[in-house]
Amino acid sequence: MTAADLLAVVMVIGLTAYALTGGADFGGGVWDLLARGRDAADQRRLVSAALGPVWEANHVWLIFVIVMMFSGFPAAFGIVGSTLEIPLILALVGIVLRGAAYVYRAYGAGAAGPDHWWGHVFAVSSAITPVALGVCGAALATGDVAEGDALAPVTSAFGIVCGVFTLAVTAFLAAVYLCRDAASSPETEHLVPGFRRRALGGAVVSGLLAVALLPLLWSEAPVVAERFAERSVPFVVISAMGGITSLVALWQHRFTAARVTAGAAVAGVLWGWAAAQYPDLVVGRATVDSAAAPEANIVAMLIAVACGLVVLIPSLWMLFRLFANPEVKS
Amino acid sequence: MVHAAEVLSHVAALAQAADPPQASSGSTNLARAQTAFSLAFHICFAVFGVGMPWLLLFVEGRWVRTRDPVWLALTRKWSRAFAVLFAVGAVSGTALSFEFGLLWPAFMARYGGVLGLSFTLEGFAFFAEAIFIGMYLYGWKRLSARTHWLTLWPIAIAGTFSTLFIITANAWMNTPGHVTEVDGKVVSAEPFAPFLAATAPHQLIHMLLAALMCTGGIVAGVYAVGMLRGRRDAYHQRGLRVGLAVLLVCAPLQLIVGDWAARVVGNEQPIKLAAMEGLGHTRTHAPLTIGGIYDERTGEVRHGIEVPDLLSLMQGFSADHEITGLTAVPPEERPNAVLVHSAFNVMVGLGMALIALSLVTGVVVLRRRRRGQRPLLPTGRPWLWAAAASGPASVLAMLAGWEVTEGGRQPWIVYGRMRVDEAATSSSGMPAIFTGTLLLYLGLAAALILILRRMATGGPELAATVGETSTTPEIPDARPAPVAPGTPAPTTPTKPTKPTTPRTDPSGSEGDVR
Repeated sequence: MTAADLLAVVMVIGLTAYALTGGADFGGGVWDLLARGRDAADQRRLVSAALGPVWEANHVWLIFVIVMMFSGFPAAFGIVGSTLEIPLILALVGIVLRGAAYVYRAYGAGAAGPDHWWGHVFAVSSAITPVALGVCGAALATGDVAEGDALAPVTSAFGIVCGVFTLAVTAFLAAVYLCRDAASSPETEHLVPGFRRRALGGAVVSGLLAVALLPLLWSEAPVVAERFAERSVPFVVISAMGGITSLVALWQHRFTAARVTAGAAVAGVLWGWAAAQYPDLVVGRATVDSAAAPEANIVAMLIAVACGLVVLIPSLWMLFRLFANPEVKS
Repeated sequence: MVHAAEVLSHVAALAQAADPPQASSGSTNLARAQTAFSLAFHICFAVFGVGMPWLLLFVEGRWVRTRDPVWLALTRKWSRAFAVLFAVGAVSGTALSFEFGLLWPAFMARYGGVLGLSFTLEGFAFFAEAIFIGMYLYGWKRLSARTHWLTLWPIAIAGTFSTLFIITANAWMNTPGHVTEVDGKVVSAEPFAPFLAATAPHQLIHMLLAALMCTGGIVAGVYAVGMLRGRRDAYHQRGLRVGLAVLLVCAPLQLIVGDWAARVVGNEQPIKLAAMEGLGHTRTHAPLTIGGIYDERTGEVRHGIEVPDLLSLMQGFSADHEITGLTAVPPEERPNAVLVHSAFNVMVGLGMALIALSLVTGVVVLRRRRRGQRPLLPTGRPWLWAAAASGPASVLAMLAGWEVTEGGRQPWIVYGRMRVDEAATSSSGMPAIFTGTLLLYLGLAAALILILRRMATGGPELAATVGETSTTPEIPDARPAPVAPGTPAPTTPTKPTKPTTPRTDPSGSEGDVR
C-alpha cells in the first residue's frame, strides 16, 4: 500500500465521520422542515437542542476531506473544481445559509427578521447540501463530469437519484439519533413515537432507493459497477444487515442499539462505493496514482493527521459525552 | 488639493490597471474579485475567532476569581457575540476551501500538495476550536465555572495556531521556495516549504497583532458608543477599558513589526516594495513618500510628502542603499502601484493614528495614576469618540494591509512561478456566481449587523433571563444615574460603583432581554 492509498483510506474514514455526524445534522434540518402536528414546536426544539453543541465540530469533517483532496490529490481537485461547478456551488450555498441561519435563529432574538424565517432557511438549506453532495459522488463514479455542459451532473438520472438517496439516508440517521435523544428525558418522551415512525419510514425509503440505484449503477457507471460486484459484496451485506437490525431495534425501542446499526448501514454503503471507486478518483480522468502529490508531502500530511487525531479524538469524545443528552428548555 | 478631474483620471487609471493589458480574461478578473470579496468578508470575522477568546479568557478569569457580576455580564455578552461571529467566520471559511477549487483549479492542481501540510494543520486547529467552542457555549450549566473557563484555552490557542498555519500558506505564495518543478509539475517539495517561506515570520506576527487590534478596537468602540449615549456604568467602563488596553498595547508593537516586514519585503519582493512606496525608478537616496497618488506615466508620486533619503535609510541603514523601482521589470509584471501605494498609505496612516492615541493615552494614564485619579482611562467625549473610531480604523487598516500583501504580489499568484491568469477558472458562469455570492454575503452581513446591534444595545444581560446560570445572582444595572441619550457627559470621571440600583431602562433602548 502506497502513501497515497493510505491517504485515500483516511479520506474515506473522514467522509464516513462526516456522513455519520454532519449527515445526521442535515437530516435534523429535514425533520425541522417536516415538523408537523401539535408538537411541531417541540420537535424543532429537540432538533435544535441536539444540534447546538456539536454542529460546528460535525462539519469540520467536510473541510478535512476537501483539504486532503486538494493537498493529497491536487490534480483530481482541479478536475472536480472545474467540472462539478453547479453541484459544488449548490452544496456551498446550503452550507453557508444553513450555518448562518442556525446561529441567527439561536442568537438573533428576532433582530434580523422573525426567528422562524431563519428556521425555514436553515431547514431548506439543510436539504440542499446532501442532495448536491450526492450528485457530486455520482459524477465521480460515472466520470460523467461536465465538459462544456455545466448542467450535465445535475441532469443525469443517476445523479439525481444518488442525491435523493443521500438526503433520505441523512434523514433516516437523524430520526434514529433523535429517538434516543427524545427518550432520554421525560420532557421530550412524548416525541418518541413520532421520530420512531420517521426512522422506520426513513429506513424503508432509503432501502428502496438503494435497490433502485443498483440497476442505474450498472447502466450509468459500468466501471464502478463491475468492481462493485467484485469487491463490495461484504460491505453491501454489512449495510443490509445494519438496515434490517435497525428496523428490529427501532421496533423494540432499543434506540442506542439502533444508532449503532444505522451507522453501520450508512458506513456500509459508503465503503462499498469507495471500494468500487478505487483506484479511480474521477473515473476515466484521475486515479489515486496519477493525481497524487509528491510522496514526501503525503507522508507529512499522514503524520500530521495521526498527531492531530491524538489530540482531537479525546476532545471529541469529551464533547459528545458532555452533551450526550440534549437540554430542552423553552 | 487634488482637483476633481484629476481624481477622475486616477480612478480611470485604476480601472485600467485593474485590467492588465495582456490576456487577463473576464473570468480571471471575476475570479479575482470574488476571491477578494470572500476573503475580505471572511477575515473580518476570522479576526474575532483569533482575538475574542483571549479577551474572554481575561474577563471570565476575572469573574472566576472575583465573582464580580459585572465581569460575568461582560463574559456572557461577549460569548454570545463571539458565537455568532465565529459561526459566520466558519461558514465563510468553508466556502473559501470550496472556492480554491472552483475559482483557481489550475493553481490548486499544481500547488495543492505543497500547501497540504499548512492546510491539514489548519484543519486540525479549526477542528479543536469548533469542539471546544461547543463545550464553551453550551456548557454553562454542565461545567463548573473553572472548567468552563479552562475550555477557553484550547479555543484561544487553536485560533492563534489557525492563523499561523494559514499565514504560512500565504507567505509561501509570496516567497515560494523549497520546491522543484519540471515542466510545470511539482516533482518534489519539502513538506515544510510553507513554514520556511521568508515572509512567514513577519506576516504571522503582523496578522496576529492586527487580529488583536481589530477585536480590541471593535469591543472598545461598542462600549464607547454606549457611553456616548449616556450609559456610563461599570459594565461599559470595564468593557471599554479591556478592549482599549488590547488595542493600545498592540498598536506600537505593530510599528516595529511593520518596519521589519518592509525590510524583508524589500529583499524578497523588491517590486512589491516599490509599489508600496510608489517608487518608479531604481535609485539610491530614495525618499519616503507619505500620501499622494502614484502616476504610472511619470513613475512619480503626485501630491505626496517626500522625506529625502529616508526609504534608503530604513531599508539599508544608509542613504546610498539602492532601492529597486517598478520600471526594473516590464509593465506586465508590475503590480497596480496606484492601488498598492494608496492601500499602504491607508494602513500606515491609520496605524500611526492609533499609535498616537496609544501614546497620548499612555501619558494621560500615567499622570492620572500619579495623582491617584480613578478611573485611569479618561472618559470625556473626545476620548470616547477616539475610542469609537478606533474599531473601524483597525479593521480598515487590516483590510488595507491585506490588499498591500495580495495586490503587491500581482500579477503573480505564486510569486515568480505562476501568474494569476494562468491559475483562474475559465468558467462562463462566473458573472452569475459572483452576483450570487455578493447578494448572499451582503444579505447575511446585513442580518448579522442587525443582530449584533441588538446585542450591543442595553446594559448588562440579566443572567436569569437566559436561564443558563440560575445559580448566579441577577446582575443589576450599575449605572450611577439615568442619563438621557445625547446628554453631555459629566466631565468628572465617575468611579465604578458597586451595582446597587435595580435595572431600569430610561434611555428607551430595547435591552437584551430575550
